[in-house]
Amino acid sequence: MYVCLCLAVTSTTVQQAIDNGARSTEQVASTCGAGSICGRCRHTIRTMLDAAAPDTAPRRTDRLRRRWGRAPG
Amino acid sequence: MSLVLAADYRVPDFDRWWNRLRGDLPRLPGLGAHHVVVYRAIRDPNHVFVTIGVREREPVDALLRSPLLFAWFDSAGVTEIPPLFAGQIVEKIDLPAAPPPAVPPAPVSGVPTPVSDRAGVVVASIVSVGEIDQLRASVHHAVARITASGVRRFWIYRALDDGAEVMILQELATERQADQWIRHPDASARFMAEAGMGAHPPNFVGRLVETLEVPAAPLARD
Repeated sequence: MYVCLCLAVTSTTVQQAIDNGARSTEQVASTCGAGSICGRCRHTIRTMLDAAAPDTAPRRTDRLRRRWGRAPG
Repeated sequence: MSLVLAADYRVPDFDRWWNRLRGDLPRLPGLGAHHVVVYRAIRDPNHVFVTIGVREREPVDALLRSPLLFAWFDSAGVTEIPPLFAGQIVEKIDLPAAPPPAVPPAPVSGVPTPVSDRAGVVVASIVSVGEIDQLRASVHHAVARITASGVRRFWIYRALDDGAEVMILQELATERQADQWIRHPDASARFMAEAGMGAHPPNFVGRLVETLEVPAAPLARD
């Protein structure tokens, strides 16, 4: 999926940035550009960052409920 | 081949958005769009799943950064732009109609109502499945079981940006069948359990509101 429309950055690219050590939306933006222009995709990037840090992030269902307004399923 | 853009998001006020939508349509030929399909979630009246059919005229990068696409979300009052699926259809399986349900499906609250009760319940999933050809083969192999579960449409779209990512639109007759199918899918449809990972939205369960034809762009005057 395309996360950042301004620069056509995909979720795969954002995930790679996270896997390579990006721990904030600013670090993701500096690594791959996603979220660096209009910033309206940063909530998606934040969700992906949360999912990559399971020890500190809320439970997955809680994150999804906050993000999408409901639990999965 | 036509390109399909799809997004799962919430609008602040569905009725207000819907009333403005027809006014937005004349701008969409600028994107190369020819159809907009709107689905509305059963359990959240402001939650929508929208697909936009686009004639391929320019690279997808240029399409995504078009001000018209941003204007689409602005007009809906959506400030946080959702992840966008961009892909092409690779499989259209239309299955024999199941017997009509004993109880008609409950209408979605508010206006508009679904085009008809026959529109059924749509389950939209955007997931990573690995080998798409393997998925297609397993679905073909399981057609009888899938049909028996009430699925009457199974369309697969392949993402442009990720060869392992798909959008799958399934249609079932009733909400109960859809719920049962999501909770206890056939082995060929276990991809639904992967929805909601990373940037992917959870499975969307809703009804078709309307398929809107985008009016052709007016001819340029001399």
